[in-house]
Amino acid sequence: MTRMATEPALEAFFAEVTAVLGDTAVNVTPETLQRYGENHLPTGDRRPAGVVYPGSTAEVQRIVAAANTHHVVLYPISTGQNQGLGLRSPVHAGQVVIDLGRRMNRVLELDERLAYAVIEPGVTYQQLYDELGLRGHRLMLDTTSGPPAGGVLGNTLDGGAGYTPYFDHFYMACGMEVVLGDGQVLRTGDGALPDSRAWHVSKYSMGPRLDGLFVQSNLGIVTRMGVWLMPRPPAIRGFFFAFPEDHDLAEIIDLCRPLKLANVVPTLFKVTNDIYALGTECSSPEYAATGGAAALSDGTRRQLRERYGCGAWLVSGAFYGASDAALAPFIERVKAHFLQSGRATYIDHETADANPMLRIHLDSFRGVPTAAELKLLGWRPGGGLIWFLPGTPMVGEIANAHQALARSIYAAHGLEYICEYVCGARFARGLHVVVYNREDEDETARADACYRELTRAFAAAGYSVGRAATGYQALHLGTLDPTYTSVVRALKATLDPAGVIAAGRYG
Amino acid sequence: MHTQFSVTQLADPKLAEADSIIRACVRHGFCPQTCPTYVLLGDENDSPRGRIDLIRAMLEQGGAPPAATVRHIDRCLSCLSCETTCAARVEFRHLADRARVHIEMHYRRPWRERGLRWLLASLLPHPGRLRLALAAARLGRPFARWLPGRLRGLVESVPPAYAGTACNTAESLAALPPQREVALLAGCVQQVLGAHINAATVRVLERHGCRVHVAADAVCCGALTLHMGREADALAAARSAIETWEALLAEHALTAIVVNTSGCGTLLKDYGRLFAHDPHWYPRAARIAGLVKDVSEVLADLPLTPRTDVPELPIAYHDACSLQHGQGLVAPPRALLRRLGFALREVPERHFCCGSAGTYNLLQPAIATRLGERKARHVAATSAVLFAAGNLGCLLQIGRYSALPGVHTVELADWATGGPLPPALAGLDLTAYPPRTAADSPGAAVPAADEINFWLYAPPTTASEHDPHGH
Repeated sequence: MTRMATEPALEAFFAEVTAVLGDTAVNVTPETLQRYGENHLPTGDRRPAGVVYPGSTAEVQRIVAAANTHHVVLYPISTGQNQGLGLRSPVHAGQVVIDLGRRMNRVLELDERLAYAVIEPGVTYQQLYDELGLRGHRLMLDTTSGPPAGGVLGNTLDGGAGYTPYFDHFYMACGMEVVLGDGQVLRTGDGALPDSRAWHVSKYSMGPRLDGLFVQSNLGIVTRMGVWLMPRPPAIRGFFFAFPEDHDLAEIIDLCRPLKLANVVPTLFKVTNDIYALGTECSSPEYAATGGAAALSDGTRRQLRERYGCGAWLVSGAFYGASDAALAPFIERVKAHFLQSGRATYIDHETADANPMLRIHLDSFRGVPTAAELKLLGWRPGGGLIWFLPGTPMVGEIANAHQALARSIYAAHGLEYICEYVCGARFARGLHVVVYNREDEDETARADACYRELTRAFAAAGYSVGRAATGYQALHLGTLDPTYTSVVRALKATLDPAGVIAAGRYG
Repeated sequence: MHTQFSVTQLADPKLAEADSIIRACVRHGFCPQTCPTYVLLGDENDSPRGRIDLIRAMLEQGGAPPAATVRHIDRCLSCLSCETTCAARVEFRHLADRARVHIEMHYRRPWRERGLRWLLASLLPHPGRLRLALAAARLGRPFARWLPGRLRGLVESVPPAYAGTACNTAESLAALPPQREVALLAGCVQQVLGAHINAATVRVLERHGCRVHVAADAVCCGALTLHMGREADALAAARSAIETWEALLAEHALTAIVVNTSGCGTLLKDYGRLFAHDPHWYPRAARIAGLVKDVSEVLADLPLTPRTDVPELPIAYHDACSLQHGQGLVAPPRALLRRLGFALREVPERHFCCGSAGTYNLLQPAIATRLGERKARHVAATSAVLFAAGNLGCLLQIGRYSALPGVHTVELADWATGGPLPPALAGLDLTAYPPRTAADSPGAAVPAADEINFWLYAPPTTASEHDPHGH
């Protein structure tokens, strides 16, 4: 649906919101609209019609009511740090951004005994980390490798994930407050019981589990959410293995799988390719010479990986325990496992901690927000970025086939294959990054074509994505079975009959 | 970001440099959320990206900029939080300085602002004048309420005077035989308001085998005037400092120029860039810049000998922007304080400026007050009994809004290795904080928690509980 509100309707909408919430709750200045419309995608900037800043769930309700009255489409964001997936810009130009994070950014509750927090949409990873720090860091949160200014709630609702045992952000979220498209407020789970005392701790509530309806959807505006936190262990010890060749990925995946199936290693494994790892430290040395027309040569790539010591693939993970000494036998066990084929080089915790390129991964396992991984976006100039996020079963042969498929598509478009597999027991998320020069028309077109080809090729092979950029929502929805999309449309018609929330976002 | 400078404009190396910085901005969008003024004011033009756009337009157009442009650039703290979060490595500091120089050359401010800026530029870099002005202000403080707004703010912000030892006459306590020679920048404001800090620096360095030279002529590094757009004044101060240190280097084998004011250190380390377009001064400036070290870096390399009776005080460590963003020094001051036996508390929003920012709190008091109050709240939330920082300006700024005493990191280092109690801690009851015992001193084996115990309720005794970074 790409319905646009008319100019008089928008004026009336903004007038009503201003009258109810005050002057400072509405912003339609040109510089604001321009910058809220910016994103990293080849599909172009999407300028909103305005930005509104609610301060409470009740104010969100008022805004939704006004949108229904004036037939205006809203686009809610938490902190707008969805890097490479759309930032603050709406799916369609002309939608009105509800910037929840500007004023709704409080940690409403922090229960150290039951280890959970209740947050508003604007609470960032850094903010929650700091809040936990004030209490002695007895609890830790699962962070992403995205910006510390990213929103905890927004990441969860977009299907984001991290690396620690609490990596599954949706599973570790419990109890939501949601403003529906008709203005009603829904409290999920035990929250449906008035004055519930178990809203943010119980996943076993009466009736269907509705929380999932608001992840990657446009069925409501989540204004409050419970987040489970993990007791911070006294000792966290990481381990790293560098493998020399691209094709070693198959062996790596097969080595990781049993350790995760048996839960020997509590973190997910990060399996990071050379450019993904070393791109945090340097830019493409060949870009100036080729003008970005060709991907980095294998010879230079090999030289770089030798210089930075990351191998073709870098495997990392961590153990949690009572002391370093208590964890030492576990590290030895993992070392023996990975070194058995003779292809891996072991890098110990201290060496990694002293190396900024490797410390990024340790910080992920330690639940410390870091912006360091995002330096990777400077691999090519121009600031273009798309994430392609397919899933891969934890079978080495399949992973190598995916690698070969993706590499061939990247290379055909003159772009570097940049990928990190985040590996669980049965499934790995392939964090593929398309870094390109957005200020170069030809390169932008190639990045767009590359992304579309990746989507088509993986879908044809039977693999979908776990998340999609705003500019490619329709592309991905088009790969899905019509029954699925019609059910989603039916839900939309029920919960948001006037279609005022984020039309085009995941449905 | 695209630019449209003319060929003639780009022939000017300074504009060419600005052009390359602006074009490096690719609008990743990380910086606004880490920019204090954007977070406070919510105006896109008060974010780094907004300012880059305004500076681009101003420099492209040349001549007098619009008042609104000046207002948004004036509001920038130059805290450099945007630089450390930027994936495109945009060198905002140099662009902001270029913009300020342009404004100073082409824009006529209202007379009150001109007067205030002239006053600050005439007083602060000159210790003699500043001493006189402070003495007058302290005398006039009871009458401050009858003064006009900005002047009243200036008088009220004058800090108390500590009886500090002159830094070049510092007593050496149990000093090791000198094994290395270093110079210390006494600073301009620092030697007036922070003489006790300089004295502590000399003491702790001499105690650990350094012969410290304090060159009387190397007073001002030029940072204060540069950030006010007075480039000529800044360059003159920098040349004078370079010549002074060159003379010292001719006589002594200096291994470092030690700086305990991180705002100055940031510019001193950047002297090569400051003179990048001057072939005569560039190599000389770069040589000096290569010797500059923050005192926390120097102390990290020295065999410190902490005394055994230092109380394990809970200290909120505040990262001065010029240290964490300007010089990238986050770990060394923390490692130093831990090594000396103090219990560190992290201050929330550590990437955020306290509002000091050189002369910012004098020129933008409203925003500075909000930032100062915000930082003081965060400091208070740590439950520490004092706060520490590596920059005098931060100590003064936070001290205005915090009930806790504030001390320079090097004062703690001095005290913990045999020096006197920092004057700001004179009223603190130290008996409530026993010294760290040998069992939990740095380097001792971390006692293993009960393997079957729950970590959540383990007493917070190990470093990892306080320092998830493992630093």
